[in-house]
Amino acid sequence: MEIIKNPNIDFIGKAKYFASLSVLVLAAGLFWIASGHLRSGVEFSGGTQLILSFKGAPEVDKIRDAVTRVSPGAVIQTYGDPKANKVLVRISQEAPETDLDAPARAVRQALADGYGQNPILESSSEIVGPIVGAELRQKAILLTVLGLLFQLVYIAWRFRGGVWGAGAAIAALHDVLFCLAFLAFFRFEITLNVIAALLTLVGYSVNDTIVIFDRARENMLHRRKEPMAKLLNDSLNQTLTRTIISNGTTFLAVLGLFLFGGEVLRGFGFTMVVGILVGTYSTLFIAVPLVSWWYARQERAGASAKAA
Amino acid sequence: MPPALQNPVTLWLLLTAALAGLVFAFMRPELRWKAIGYGAFLLACVVAIWPPYERDGVPGRIKLGLDLRGGIHLVLQVVVEDALNATVDDAVTTARDQAGRKGIQVGAVQRVSPKSFSVQGTEPARVKDMRDLLRDFFRGSWEVRDAGEGGFTVEMTDLYERQVKEQTVQEAIRTLERRVNALGVAEPVIAAQGSRGDQILVQLPGVTDVEQAKRVIKTTAQLSLRLVENTAATEDTLLQGVGGKVPDNMELFSGPGDTAGEPVYYLLRREALITGRDLKSARVGVDENNQPQINFALNATATDKFARETGRNIGRQLAILLDGTVYSAPVIQSKLGSDNRITGRFTTAEADELSKILKAGALPATLRYLQELTVGASLGRDSIRDGVRASIAAMAFITIFMLVYYRFSGLNAVVALAANLLIVLAALAYTNATLTLPGIAGIILTVGVGVDTNVLVFERIREELRNGKTVRAAVQNGFERVWITILDTHATALIAAAFLFQFGTGPIKGFAVTLVIGLVANVFASYFVSKFIFEWVLGKRHVESLSI
Repeated sequence: MEIIKNPNIDFIGKAKYFASLSVLVLAAGLFWIASGHLRSGVEFSGGTQLILSFKGAPEVDKIRDAVTRVSPGAVIQTYGDPKANKVLVRISQEAPETDLDAPARAVRQALADGYGQNPILESSSEIVGPIVGAELRQKAILLTVLGLLFQLVYIAWRFRGGVWGAGAAIAALHDVLFCLAFLAFFRFEITLNVIAALLTLVGYSVNDTIVIFDRARENMLHRRKEPMAKLLNDSLNQTLTRTIISNGTTFLAVLGLFLFGGEVLRGFGFTMVVGILVGTYSTLFIAVPLVSWWYARQERAGASAKAA
Repeated sequence: MPPALQNPVTLWLLLTAALAGLVFAFMRPELRWKAIGYGAFLLACVVAIWPPYERDGVPGRIKLGLDLRGGIHLVLQVVVEDALNATVDDAVTTARDQAGRKGIQVGAVQRVSPKSFSVQGTEPARVKDMRDLLRDFFRGSWEVRDAGEGGFTVEMTDLYERQVKEQTVQEAIRTLERRVNALGVAEPVIAAQGSRGDQILVQLPGVTDVEQAKRVIKTTAQLSLRLVENTAATEDTLLQGVGGKVPDNMELFSGPGDTAGEPVYYLLRREALITGRDLKSARVGVDENNQPQINFALNATATDKFARETGRNIGRQLAILLDGTVYSAPVIQSKLGSDNRITGRFTTAEADELSKILKAGALPATLRYLQELTVGASLGRDSIRDGVRASIAAMAFITIFMLVYYRFSGLNAVVALAANLLIVLAALAYTNATLTLPGIAGIILTVGVGVDTNVLVFERIREELRNGKTVRAAVQNGFERVWITILDTHATALIAAAFLFQFGTGPIKGFAVTLVIGLVANVFASYFVSKFIFEWVLGKRHVESLSI
């Protein structure tokens, strides 16, 4: 069984259209993020998030009445499977540094007073002080950038050319920004799990790019005379079946994570689902064409040098 | 299971011997050693994870993280300035005492910053003596500088400051360990973390009474017994008695009075007769009215000092001050000995908790919460169910796809995936690492990378076959060519995972751990084991076609 027999698609020739599309989407996405649409979870923004399990079916309106009395602006929504009787309460007011769980206590007390007929059986909470939130945000950005930088150096070393490393790193950065734009657009929160997904994605995107780079490296050994653009395009076609099958299976695995992984993994699953699609796309239309464009410029420069 | 087999090493040796027997009976000579080596390793993995989850009271080998089994995760900051202040205060007392002993008249000696104090108004004739005295007493750890007009500034060296901070955090960790042990929590984690070294991570898996756990951890438990200078019903009355300002050697505190809602204010000596450090033991008892109280006993040195001081101050009030609140202030009736008590309005549970905390010792500094994560047990159970369901869905789909698309060779890939999973779980069990929900996600991702390795190899073999190579040559070339690709892809993925590791936070670290182990295991399972299976099945016979 084979998916495509001897594919011969002109990826690199069409790359300029896709690159323009990417630029447009990223510009729109960055504008959307810059105008404050990226929501960060309590880990990063600091604050309080409670997941309360009620004895009976929770009435969100009554809970909202009770909670907003002590904590105006609190977000209240059902959490996970409606049959599980769980409600998520997000308290907007900042957790005070000296008494971190004061807002959480106040909410629990308010619910006991104002909605006592349906008692809370169990409460899970996540409370993050402002110091930790800011520290974590800096760390996440720093680690992503450093991770990319080290991968770039490794690839540049293995392929004896900075442009290969740069191609892979730019494509990975493209994927991360793309995912952030999608996360902002679909109103997902940036949690620690989402950061883990983004960092994994960097690894996955680079991984996907390297497989094709590797094929090109092999082809370069015995096809020295050909222009790089053709050689790179052939490498893309030769590995296309693998690209579709590998990324397809991983895509379906993370789709399972997104659909069945429950509330906690929903953001993670979403990021991976978008990321694997974008990662595959960026390998074909960003990373490899970038390398091709660079070599084409080199070849032109070489030709004009000879002509002179 | 017979007792001899309970020992994992014996069990493993027996299984390996059985495997070796089978290998020698049925396998070609050139494959034997490889088969035994790979088999022995995988059998060791099986033994390492057995039993995987708790059954019949035997604890499971796979430890679940807080997010899966419920519990509490706290990040605390040690307010190290507290400890620095206390160290400077001690030095102030020493300086004043020593000057007095040498008969040097000095003016004020007081703390001016968390790491320095000043001496003012030394009598002009003795300035040199005072300088020598300070230099002598605070040699090494402190710097003494002249401030003119018989004044000196004494400041901690940076090295000493660092030492004090480190000791404070270490002491806080030891105290927390003792307290958590008193709570009876299994497998707690209490460790320093953070770049500045003043943060402590506390993880208490399976704890259900979160409020109690937090109280026990956070109570500073600074106990001191101090002489009372004056008491009054309001702060103002007290201050009027001393000219509107609390004198240098005294401090102002309050505590509950005899009638509820009417606190009593106390002016106490700054110097304590007894502190929490002097305690030998503390436990709950009952008083004459059958009310709970805390009995405590002092160690030998403290008993001598306490007896001497109480003997000298009969008729005065002695305040029992705990974390800034005066619990009671009984009048000293006679010289007191080793055994004493704290009365107050405790419930039995409060008294019990407090006595445990007192026995575990005081924290050297106040703790502040930076982060708190509590996971209820039922939320954890939901997460396990969801995580396992997602994993099974992913695995089932991949298995079916590989079998349909690659037929016999797909079976090979499925075996490789199973071996990969086995190794990841065994490594978690062996290193005592915990499986978290992001960890499960990491395993699913590992499966994805594992499939990629197989697909790379299989596609390459197909390509070689299309180019007219024989089956054996195609398989050989396929694996050889793909080796470099796998090396480079795994190396870059490991670089990404290494940075995830730096996060140092529970769940993400769990993810990085499974990813790193998974990547390494994948090279073994999807490359070497898979290659071995091909070699074994193809054998020495001439093979016309390959089911791929």
